[in-house]
Parts: sequence; C-alpha cells; structure tokens
Amino acid sequence: MTIILFDGLIYASVLAVLCVGLSLTYKITSVPNFAHTSFAILGMYMALIMSKVIGLSVYVALPVAFAASGALALFMYYGIIRILQKKKSSLISLIIATLAFDMFMIGVLNIIADGVRNTYRVNSRDFTLRSLDTVIGGDGGLPLVFIVTIVLLAGLALGLYFLLYRTSFGMSMRGAIENESLAQTLGINTRTIFCFAWFLSGGLAGMAGVLMAMWFQGDPSLAAIMLPSIFAGSIVGGFSSIYGAILGGLLVGLSEVVGTSVLIDLLGYWVIPYRPVIPFIAMIATLLVLPGGLIQLITKYQKRRKTMMRKSKEEEEGDSVGT
Amino acid sequence: MALSAELIFLGDLIAIFSIYLVVNLSLNLEFGFGGVPNFGKVLAVAAGAFVVGTIPFGVYGLMLDYGGLEPVDDNIMLVHQINAYIAENPETVFVVFAITLIVAVGVGGLLGLVSAYPAIRLRGDYLAITLLAFGEIIRIVGINYTPLVGGTLGISVPDMLSFVPNEYRFLTASFVLLAFAGVAYLLVARFTKSPVGRLLRATRDDDLALQTLGRDPVKVKFKVMMLAGMLGAVGGVMYASYVEGVVAFGYDRLNWTFLPFVMIIVGGMANNKGVLVGTFLFVVIRKLVIYYNDSLDGLLPFDIIWLDYLALGGLMILVLIFRPHGIIPERPQKAKDLEKG
Repeated sequence: MTIILFDGLIYASVLAVLCVGLSLTYKITSVPNFAHTSFAILGMYMALIMSKVIGLSVYVALPVAFAASGALALFMYYGIIRILQKKKSSLISLIIATLAFDMFMIGVLNIIADGVRNTYRVNSRDFTLRSLDTVIGGDGGLPLVFIVTIVLLAGLALGLYFLLYRTSFGMSMRGAIENESLAQTLGINTRTIFCFAWFLSGGLAGMAGVLMAMWFQGDPSLAAIMLPSIFAGSIVGGFSSIYGAILGGLLVGLSEVVGTSVLIDLLGYWVIPYRPVIPFIAMIATLLVLPGGLIQLITKYQKRRKTMMRKSKEEEEGDSVGT
Repeated sequence: MALSAELIFLGDLIAIFSIYLVVNLSLNLEFGFGGVPNFGKVLAVAAGAFVVGTIPFGVYGLMLDYGGLEPVDDNIMLVHQINAYIAENPETVFVVFAITLIVAVGVGGLLGLVSAYPAIRLRGDYLAITLLAFGEIIRIVGINYTPLVGGTLGISVPDMLSFVPNEYRFLTASFVLLAFAGVAYLLVARFTKSPVGRLLRATRDDDLALQTLGRDPVKVKFKVMMLAGMLGAVGGVMYASYVEGVVAFGYDRLNWTFLPFVMIIVGGMANNKGVLVGTFLFVVIRKLVIYYNDSLDGLLPFDIIWLDYLALGGLMILVLIFRPHGIIPERPQKAKDLEKG
C-alpha cells in the first residue's frame, strides 16, 4: 500500500511540475509544445551522467538538469518558435515544428543513451537510480526523493505565486500575457519575459526528469509515453492556467497510478500496459463535460460568491438608507 | 537466378515509394485539401496492416484444414502450409486479397469516422493531442493484445504471391504495389480536381462562407476523413503484404505519421504533384542513407538509426522556416468552363 502511495504521489507531483511548464509556455506564447517531455528526458540523462559516470550525488543533477533543459528550451524558443511566429506561421505549422523538434530530440537523447552505454559501460536504458537515494529511517522508511518531490511542487506553487503577484517582473509578465503589444508600448521587454518563461518551463521539466529517474525508470521512449499524460493534466486543469495545471497534473497522475492498481485487483495484471488509456479518457471527459477545465469550475464558484457578497452588501446598504 | 543488388535496391525503392504514395495521398486529402491535421495517421495505416494479420488466416481457415494450428502460436508452420496451398491454387488469392482489402477499407473508414468526431469539435491544439493519442493507443493494443497480431513478437502473414516463381516474385510485388499506387493517384487526382475538391478547399479556407452558400462543412469533413481513413488502411494493407508480416512496434509515430507529414509539406500541400515529388525525394534519400549506412556501422559509438530521427526532424524544421509552401506550392485551380466565358 505504501508503495502505491509513494508511486502515486511522486508520479503525480512530477506530472504536475511538467504540466505547469507546458501550460506556462502555452499561456505565454500560445504554442502547445509537443517536445516538452524531451526536456524531462534530458534531465533524466543528466542525472544518470552525474551519478553513475561522474560519481557525484544524484541531487547535484537537479540544478545541472535545470540549467541544461532550460537552455534547450530557450534554444527551441529562440531558434525555432520565435522565427516561425515572426513569419506568421499557422498554429498547425507551429505544432508540426514542435513535433519535429521532438523527433530531433528523440535522436539526440538516444545517441546520448548509446554513447553513455558504449563509452562508460553503464546501463542507460530502463535504468533506475532508486538505489542511490537515501532512505530516512532505514529500510521501509521515507525516501528522500519523495520529500524533495513534494517540496519542489509546493515551492513551485508558492514561488510562482510570489513571482507573478508580488514582484514587478511578475506584473509585467502578466501584462505581456494579457496584451503583448500594449505591454510593449508601456516599455516592457516582452522578449525577455517570453525567453524567461521558456527557460523556466524547460528547467522545471529537467528537474522533473531527474526525480522521475530516481524513483521510476529512465528511458528515451518515455518521451512519447508521457506526452499524452502531460497534455491530459494540462487540459484537465484548463490548459492556460498555471494552478489548474498543478491540479490537473496531480489528478491525472494519481488516477493513473491508483486507477491502474484498482483495475489490476478487479481485472488482473493484463491491464498494466493499457495504463496510457487512463489520461486519454480523463482528457476526453474533460473536453466533453468541462472544456474550460477544473479552473473554469473554480472561477465560476468564485464569481458566484463575489456576486452573492455584493448583493448582500447592497441589501445592507439599502436597509441603512431605508432607516 | 539470384537478383543483383541493384535490382533488389530498385524493386524495394518502387515498393516503398508506392506504399508511401498511397499513405501520403490520404494525408494530403485530409490535411492539405481538408485542413484537418491528422497527427494520428498511423491509426488507419496500422488498422489496415492488422487486418492483413488476421483476415487471411480466417478466410483460408474456411478453405483448408489447419489441423489445429493457431495463427499466432504456430505462426511459421501455418504460414508455410497456407503458402504451399496458395502455390497450388493461385485463384484463391484474388478472393482472399479482395476480402482483406474490403475489410481493411471498411475498418479504415470507420476509424476515419471516429477521428472525424474530435476533428469537427476541437481547435488545432486539442485536436492534435487527441489524434496523437489515438495513434498511440492502437500501437499499445497491437503490442499487448497478443491474439490480434502476435504482440511484441509480431506475426508472419501468408505470402499472397507465393504462386509466382521465386525469381520473379520480388519484382512482381513491386509492380503490383506500383499499380495500386497508380490507381490511387489517378482517383485522388480526379477527385480533387472535381467540384468536390473545390468544396473541400473551401471548407478548409472559410467554412463560414461555405455555410452561407448552403453547404455543410461538418458533412464534408466527415466524408473526407472517412475517405482518407480508407486510403490510409489500403496503405497499411500494401505494407504488411509487402513485408509479409505485421509487427505492431513498426507502426510508430515517426514512420507513419511524421514521415508522411514531412513528405507532403516538403513536396507541397494540397497538390498531388507535390506529394509525388516529396514522396519520391524522401524514399530515395532514406533508401540511399540506409544503403550506405552499412559502411558507417561500427565507426560511430551509437546506433545509426537515430541519425534518421535527427535528419528528418531537422529537415522538417528547416523546411517550415525557409520554404513553408514546399517545392511545388499550391496553385489556384482554374475553372475551365468559366474561362471559356
């Protein structure tokens, strides 16, 4: 049972971090990035190289992966997406370009994997770094990666709130999202903001990849396997909402792990490979029932509460005028 | 008589070109002309191939006694037995192949219909991930549901040309496939030049204007997606019959979704001649790369297959940036009757 709990929470948190990155770049530059998982896989290989090849602690890989995947995302934005957007390419062309970049990265990541295996004689496919992790409280205790994952997600939620709502950079960032040309006329450098968003998105994905390899397995093929889950998480959350992405990612991740284990009990072990169908169902259900995602539900509720409060206030004022 | 290396190269080139031409024509129909970016093209192709992996066994099972052999478990023995039967009774092939093709076209059309549901409701980004997931799911089913096409190991299928003498068999296959592709090309070219083709482009360009003229864009999209699904399934039938086997792993995003996209975009979208050029170009390039790759093997510290991903991904991005309309761009179609006055 605890294994399912760890599996579920770590997977869901990793997915939520990835969904935040995906929604962030979608919200800011309106590009659905189909190469987002390749940033995570790069992080995985950074973790493998740092720990098994160089021999440092796996946790050193977190900042390294952040920098490497962030740089890759920045390159993708600056070298491809921005040029295409300047040429006024259609949305479909942009999607194809991100898919093409994904293909390119599949090649690069597999070359890295083969290179690591052939040069350093280190298993680089379906590898796991779980044995390198520290377990607090001895065998059967709390694995450190679990705490780090939860802390990362919580820190991300708080950090983004602080950044977006408590700093002037965050304010200009929100301005650039709402209306790019208006923000530009007010002297905001939107280019810096967009580049920052892509760097952050890629870096977060890289860190998520490191954590993924420390509990589950790392393999280049995960890029294609996880992509629908991440999109499902973001869409369930509402696609262009950061906090919706956290909620959606957690929900899809948990339902994948817990749902599969429930189905194994009910139907048998043959259901395991069909796990990718779960996020797909979650996505279809969201699109059919609640196209705006979970965040739509929440904003609706908030609006209703606001109008109710306003009404009761008006009634009070009306009473005071009457007397 | 053993075939010379050049002849094998040429025969394989013709076969692969024909198969991709059919798949690309179908993608061009829905994406180039119809404006629906089907990122799950592999769905229809894999379905066609899976039909080849099941139906011929079933139909031949009615004609001859398998003696308790199962298509998946005793695959090699059974295929051997059926091939021997085909060599003696070549006339059965036409019936069986016709049934296989009809079933495949039916399944392809049905899957096209299924893909059309999201296509008429969703915007570009949502549609893309939904269709992409469709393509992934059929692969997952194919790999994991062993009774269908043998799961991870795959399955061999009866050789529909085992009645042809051995030395001619290989080239016969290539020319049969080329004939299929030729018929598909002529049909699609006729279709897109007809008023229906104009209707299709009008749906892509401005469905509101189309509605004001009394046409229903939803109906048009349904029809074109079904047609494209059928044609895609034919491509799958051709490929599985050519390689005489179905391995679910082979029906991946790179080969049957991404590569067709690269081919038609490089050649020129909404333009059948462009598809012809793009397909030919890429099949030749890939074939040459594979041909000469053998000499590179061992020199590099990684599997050369990954260079394929690098080259295709990189090339696609460069084409999107520098030549988004392809080698032969779409030209406005002239209505002859109008010009005559």
